[in-house]
Amino acid sequence: MLAFVVRRLLFGVAVVLGVLGILFVLFFQVASPDDIARRALGEKARPDSIEQWKANHGYDRPLWPWQDFEDNLLFHHYSTMLSFDFGASDVDGAPISQRIREGAGPSLALTVPAFAFGLGLAVLLGLFVAFFRETYIDTTGVFLCVLGMSVSILLYIIAGQYLVGKMLRWFPISGFDADPAVLLRFLALPVLISVLSGVGSDVRFYRTVFVEETGRDYVRTARSKGAGEVRVMIRHVLRNSLIPILTRVVLAIPFLFTGSLLLESFFGIPGLGSLTIDAISQNDFATLRVMVFVLSMLFIIGQIATDISYALVDPRVRLE
Amino acid sequence: MRQVWVAAALVGSLCVLAVGCNNNPYPEHDAELKVLYSAFSTPHRSLDPAEAYNVSAHRVTGLVYDTLLEYHFLKRPYTLIPGLAKQVPTAEPLEDGRVRYRFTLRPGVNFAPDPCFELGGAGRVTREATMEDVAYQLMRLADPALNVQVRDQFSNIQGFKQFHRALIERRGADPAFAALPAREQYAALGGVEGVRIEHPHALEITLHSPYPQILYWFAMEFTTPVAWEAVEYYDGEAGRERYADHPVGTGPFGIDVYDKRSRIVLDRNPHWYGLADPRAPGAHYPEEGAPGDAEAGLLDAAYVGRPLPFLDRVEFRLEKEGIPLFNKFLQGYYDSGGIIKESFDQVVQSERLSPEMAAREIRLQKAVSPGIFNLGFNMEDETLGVPAGDRGRKLRQAMSLAVDSEKWIELFLNGRGLPAQTPIPPVISGAPEGYLNPYRQVDLDRARALLVEAGYPDGIDPATGAPLKLTFDAYEVSSQSRPERQYFVDEWRKLGINVELSSTTYNEFQEKVDRGAYQIYFWGWSADYPDPENFLFLLSCAMRKSTTGGPNSANFCHPGFESLFNQMEVMEDGPERRAIIREMVAILEQERPWIEIFNGVGYSLAHGWLANVKPFGMSYPMTKYLDIDPVKRARVRLSWNEPVVWPVFAIAGMFVVGIIPGFRTFFRERQ
Repeated sequence: MLAFVVRRLLFGVAVVLGVLGILFVLFFQVASPDDIARRALGEKARPDSIEQWKANHGYDRPLWPWQDFEDNLLFHHYSTMLSFDFGASDVDGAPISQRIREGAGPSLALTVPAFAFGLGLAVLLGLFVAFFRETYIDTTGVFLCVLGMSVSILLYIIAGQYLVGKMLRWFPISGFDADPAVLLRFLALPVLISVLSGVGSDVRFYRTVFVEETGRDYVRTARSKGAGEVRVMIRHVLRNSLIPILTRVVLAIPFLFTGSLLLESFFGIPGLGSLTIDAISQNDFATLRVMVFVLSMLFIIGQIATDISYALVDPRVRLE
Repeated sequence: MRQVWVAAALVGSLCVLAVGCNNNPYPEHDAELKVLYSAFSTPHRSLDPAEAYNVSAHRVTGLVYDTLLEYHFLKRPYTLIPGLAKQVPTAEPLEDGRVRYRFTLRPGVNFAPDPCFELGGAGRVTREATMEDVAYQLMRLADPALNVQVRDQFSNIQGFKQFHRALIERRGADPAFAALPAREQYAALGGVEGVRIEHPHALEITLHSPYPQILYWFAMEFTTPVAWEAVEYYDGEAGRERYADHPVGTGPFGIDVYDKRSRIVLDRNPHWYGLADPRAPGAHYPEEGAPGDAEAGLLDAAYVGRPLPFLDRVEFRLEKEGIPLFNKFLQGYYDSGGIIKESFDQVVQSERLSPEMAAREIRLQKAVSPGIFNLGFNMEDETLGVPAGDRGRKLRQAMSLAVDSEKWIELFLNGRGLPAQTPIPPVISGAPEGYLNPYRQVDLDRARALLVEAGYPDGIDPATGAPLKLTFDAYEVSSQSRPERQYFVDEWRKLGINVELSSTTYNEFQEKVDRGAYQIYFWGWSADYPDPENFLFLLSCAMRKSTTGGPNSANFCHPGFESLFNQMEVMEDGPERRAIIREMVAILEQERPWIEIFNGVGYSLAHGWLANVKPFGMSYPMTKYLDIDPVKRARVRLSWNEPVVWPVFAIAGMFVVGIIPGFRTFFRERQ
């Protein structure tokens, strides 16, 4: 087990180094420091302002070690990223680490309830349609799930804001306020949209898992011993379906921190998804570079955690 | 029985949810206050008055930072009035060609309360602003460590450039000097030679050559008094904010909450000079305005002469997307707003407000913006530019005659624009009045004749025997903006010219511009100040992109135009200057470095409870003149936003009705 964990971690480190290399090429070679400066300063910037900006932001270093071994952008890029010293935003000079800390709260405020409600609802509905398998409830459920999966989240957002916010006037159309007295009011609609937009694919997945389990011998045994259908579904089928559920859950957890790009943007929630969108729209290459790095780190962590969790919940799985 | 209780609890929860929900994004207790609700779309880069240089940032900095001069709220053409200064200074020519301006600061101008003032003495929360603070800010403008985008515009101040260079050199050569606080560095270098403080309320600015436009810069936040305490205290260290995120000024409002990614709240500045001196020109509602203002209710006796500001608080909320912003405006949660393209027909019908909007007492305001959008030719291009001589000129004239701006405005702007005739927008004082550019009236026959004279009959290039091939470089062309650019290509195709639309990224485009490897481009410019010089300089030799990196992307350099420009830029507005401007426009008419496309017309909406709304056009917030009737607003909001609850019960009912047969069938089969 320990050997497996170490091996996976080493593999993860190699991937991180590779990701950093790709990021360097993308952010310093493809988009040169001159481009970054021009983007930051805008159309009215003069050449001397561009040079000054580069010097102020440390982009005036040579790119490669063979140009200046001691002070080059490649070394600086690797050393700062690996030490989690993310530096300052290209746009306003604010520390990026602080931005990430500030953005994590609003992101989690949106993603955690959306994830929890979504998971609960999807499992419940999955059990429900599996319970009524091969009836019109099952068929209608599957049809609705496929329909829900086929619709873009953009449509959910726009329709949600229009119907729930504008026509029915249940919740604010958009906005965010960290004041606990009004926070729920702002989160209700984005959470609802997040749950509804994701529930289709989740329900289909869980339904398949549950239906597969209901055909197993232990289920027949439970029924023959006189267990009620509800008890069979919850006590036996659900418990034995935990591995695929866990896989999906563990893989999704790291991404709760990065928020939702579109939802945060449309609802004006100042989370990490919104931070990434802002970095793109404002040509904040430094922040974007960090966000891509953080995202890849979380993905790698999620992958490793999933592999390990397999072994922990199912003794039949051996890690070699 | 248990199921009955569960069902009852569910229905009860639905009822509570349905009744308890509402879409009000603000705390209920704010409803009766005079709070102006507005929005911003992206977090501000910087609110440092030396760096902030966009409309969105100025909407905040303009409230926090007062300036020595300001614009009259109502008068058009734009008129400067004294702000923190006692009067608008006049130029004093000196014998050696230099020019001097003397500013006198009003007494009793104080900064908004802030903990930073403890640096000047324990327990201090504010202090009086002096001309030292203005001089300090002028030195900051020269500081290379700050991203000052208007540094060039202040280089006419004697010694300004030298001070800038001295800072670079000393900081590079002397690390101990570089480690000192900026204020001490400035003092060690002796400041800017042309900025002299006669006493705490008198400032003398000496320019090495005449530059009448300098006064406009004293109406912008770039020259506001800045407290050294604020700059030094808000250094981003030990949990303190950065000065760029924590403005401290002498304006009518001060920052209360600054969460740049969510919410900005400004409260009245209790130390604002206008409270003690309400008769100051910038501290009370004006007694006179422009023609039509009285009829528009802008000279209402209820306001004229009353001390400013009228609002208690100004609150900005982040709204990144236009659709939610517009819908919240319609719900009454924003007091004013623009019109999104998607809803234009719903709001405006036949150039007037739709009956639906009018019934809501919404008002539509239209104002021509002091800006221009144009097509430009690279005048250094072999085919289109000066090297092609008379052929190139006639080709440019022909292409100019082919482009129908009016149709373009109708198709892509919902009619929100005026076909531009000159580089100077008609709202700028000094723009040629009633002038119609003969090369901006569509005339395809004349264009074809000019093409024949240029040696391209029917658009055929005799060198190749094929249609003349030109490239139109357009950057970041989206699916939405591509048809806007393609329109011009199609117009030129009518002459037989084959213009290829080349979409590039912003950076690729900039590289092409740097290398001079472009032929035609589309560009826009908004006024920094209301003077023709601020537009005509875009075509001056000194601003050529190819030689100076300046904003003259057409690389236009015409000796006659340049000579007139040099005369015009140092003159005050008057008949003589206007005559020179007409001559310059006549040169541009013939030379055609640009094809002027449109001057934007801003359409804005305001609710009935918002008083004293007059679009200004330029980036100067006039918020201190606005007033709100909060009682009316609260009443209207409530009536517009009553939650609709029946769908909750309908959906729940449909769900129950839908699954009951399933349950029955399922259990019957199981039994």
